[in-house]
Amino acid sequence: MNFVEAIGGVVTTTYRHIVDVFGLLWDTVAWIIIGPFKRKFPKREGISEQMVFAGIQSFVIVFFVAFFTGIVIAMQSAYQLNKFGATIYVAAMVSVSIARELGPVLTALVVAGRVGAAITAEIGSMKVSEQIEALETMALNPVRFLVVPRFLALIVMLPCLTILSDIIGVIGGFLVGVYNMGLNPYRYIDFSFNFMTWKDVSTGLIKSFTFGVIISIIGCYMGLTTKGGAEGVGRATTTSVVTSFVLIILFDCILTGIFYFSNI
Amino acid sequence: MQIKVEDKNTVTICYVTGDIDINTAPDIKKTFDRVIQGKKPKVLVNFQSVNYVDSSGLATLVEFLKNIRAYGGKLKLCTMSPKIKSLFEITKLDRLFEIAPAEGDAVTSFA
Amino acid sequence: MEKQEPVIRVIDLKKKFGDRQILSGINLDIHKGEIFVIMGGSGCGKSTLLRHLIGALTPDEGSVYLLGQDISKLNEDQMDPIRKKIGMSYQGSALFDSMTVGENVSLPLREHTKLDPNVISIMVKMKLELVGLRGFENLMPSQLSGGMKKRVGISRAFAMDPEIVFYDEPTAGLDPIVTAVMDKLIVDLSKALSVTSVVVTHDMNSVFRIADRIAMLYEGRVVEVGTRDEIRNSKNPYVQQFVSGSPDGPIKFFQQKDDYLETLTA
Repeated sequence: MNFVEAIGGVVTTTYRHIVDVFGLLWDTVAWIIIGPFKRKFPKREGISEQMVFAGIQSFVIVFFVAFFTGIVIAMQSAYQLNKFGATIYVAAMVSVSIARELGPVLTALVVAGRVGAAITAEIGSMKVSEQIEALETMALNPVRFLVVPRFLALIVMLPCLTILSDIIGVIGGFLVGVYNMGLNPYRYIDFSFNFMTWKDVSTGLIKSFTFGVIISIIGCYMGLTTKGGAEGVGRATTTSVVTSFVLIILFDCILTGIFYFSNI
Repeated sequence: MQIKVEDKNTVTICYVTGDIDINTAPDIKKTFDRVIQGKKPKVLVNFQSVNYVDSSGLATLVEFLKNIRAYGGKLKLCTMSPKIKSLFEITKLDRLFEIAPAEGDAVTSFA
Repeated sequence: MEKQEPVIRVIDLKKKFGDRQILSGINLDIHKGEIFVIMGGSGCGKSTLLRHLIGALTPDEGSVYLLGQDISKLNEDQMDPIRKKIGMSYQGSALFDSMTVGENVSLPLREHTKLDPNVISIMVKMKLELVGLRGFENLMPSQLSGGMKKRVGISRAFAMDPEIVFYDEPTAGLDPIVTAVMDKLIVDLSKALSVTSVVVTHDMNSVFRIADRIAMLYEGRVVEVGTRDEIRNSKNPYVQQFVSGSPDGPIKFFQQKDDYLETLTA
C-alpha cells in the first residue's frame, strides 16, 4: 500500500510540476505577445544583457566542445569507413551528423550547464531573499521582468551558437581529414557541403530553438519555486540542470523521430 | 495640469495649474526644456494654482535650476501655498531656490 | 471625508496553511497618517497578516480594503495601480543584488514613469538623503552593512511617494543605536511626508517609541488594539505578559507535562 501511495505521490507532484511549467511558458509567451501593446515590454538593456551572458560569453566553451567533437567524429568515422575504403565520406559523415544532431544537442547541454544553472541560482537566491516578492510589491511582474528577457535571449542565442558550433565542428573534422588522413582539402569541402542539405541545418536549428525554450523555462521555473535558503538554491540548481539535460535528450529523440518519419 | 509661459518685460514667467506629480512632471519638463533652449536669463515659476508637488516635481524643478544656472540664468519661485512651502523646507530645497511670496516681489528682485 | 474612512480596513480575515489556521478572524482599521504597529510573538501570524495587507497573499475568508478597494477581489492588472501607491521595507531588506544602490532606488521610477533619467537621478539623491545615505548610489548592496541595507530598502519603499509604507521587522538584528536611528527615521518620515505607516515588530522598545496605535496579535487573533498608554496599562494578561517579556503567563511556550511523558513512553 505504501509503495502504491509513494508512486501516486510522485505521479501527482510530477503532474503538477508539468502543469505549472506549461503555465509559466504560457505566461511568458503571453507577455511577449501582449507586452508591447500594454507598453510593458521588458527594456532592451535587460534583454541584451542576458544575450551577452547567454550567448557571447558561452562562445569559448561551445568552441572547444564543438571543435573536439568534430575531431572525434572524424577519427571515429575514419576508423569505420577505412574498412570500406571510403575515407572521403568522413567529410559527409562529420558535416551531416554535426548539423543534424551533435551541434544542437551538445551546444544545448553546454548552455544548460552554464546558463540554465546560472538562471536558477540567480532567480532562486532572489526568491529566498524576498527579492521576488519585492518586485511584485513594486508592481513589477517577475515573469515579465526576469523570465521574458532570459527566454528571448536563449531562443535567439542558442540557434546562433549552434550555427557557430556547426561551423567549428566541421573545421575540426576538416583538420583531421586533411592533415591526418591526407585527404584532398578541396574534395573534403566539396563532400562536406554536397551531402549536407539545407534541411539538415534547419532541423538542427528547430531543435536548438526547442532546447532554448526548455533551458530558459526550466531554469526560471526551478528558480521561482526555490524554497529553503541557500541549501534550497543549491538543490534547485542541481534539479534544474538535471531536468534540462533529460528533457533535451528526450525532445531530441522526439524531434528526430518526427523528422525521420515525416521524411524531412 | 496646465502650464503657460509668458514673457513680461525681461522676465519669463511659467504659470503652472494643477498638480506636479509623477504623471505630469515629464510634460512640465518639456516646457521647461523649451525655456532652457531659448536661454531665457530671468525665469520665474508661479505656484499660485499648484495644489500638490511630489518628489518627482521637486526633482524636475531642481533639474530646471541646474540647467538655467549652466548658461548663467536665474530661476525664482513665487506664490507658494504654506503646504508646498513646508515641503520645500522638509527637503531642505528652500535653501536652494529663491522663493518669493508674490509675483511682484520676485519680478522686482530680479533687477 | 478622506479622514473618516480608514486607509486600510481588514474584515474577518481568515487564512489556513494546510491544516494550520494561521489567521482566525482579524478585524482592523488603520487611519490616514498614523503609525500603526502590529506586534506579537513569533508565529502569531503577524507576517502573514502583513502579506495579506500588501496583496501578496489572498485570504481564505474575509476581505482587505486598501485605499478603499477590496484587494482580495482584484486581479493583477487592477492591483498594479494600488501597488504603486504602497511601499514595503523587507526584513532582509530584499535589495536587488545585481543592481547598485542607486539602481535599486530608481527601479520603480524607471519602470513605471516617463521621467527623464536626469530627473530620476536627482530623485534618487533626494530619496537617499531621507535615510542619510547620500553619496552611496554607486555601491553594490553587498558592500553595505545590515543597517545600511535596511535604510536603502526604506528609501526604495519611498521612491514612488507612497501613501502607505509597510515595514517588516525594521529593527530585527540591529544593534541598539542603529535600532534607535531606525525608529527615529520611521517617525520622522511618517510625520514629514504624512504617510501612513504599518510596522510589524516584536521589539517592545521600538513599539513604544514609534507607535500611535498598537495591535497585539496572538494565535491569529487581535487580542487588543489601543494607543501606547492603553497597551502599556492594559489589564489583558496576554498583553501584560508580552509587554513585560515574562516567561510565565497565559502565553505558553511549553506543552503540557503529561503530554511530554506520554510521548516519551509511547
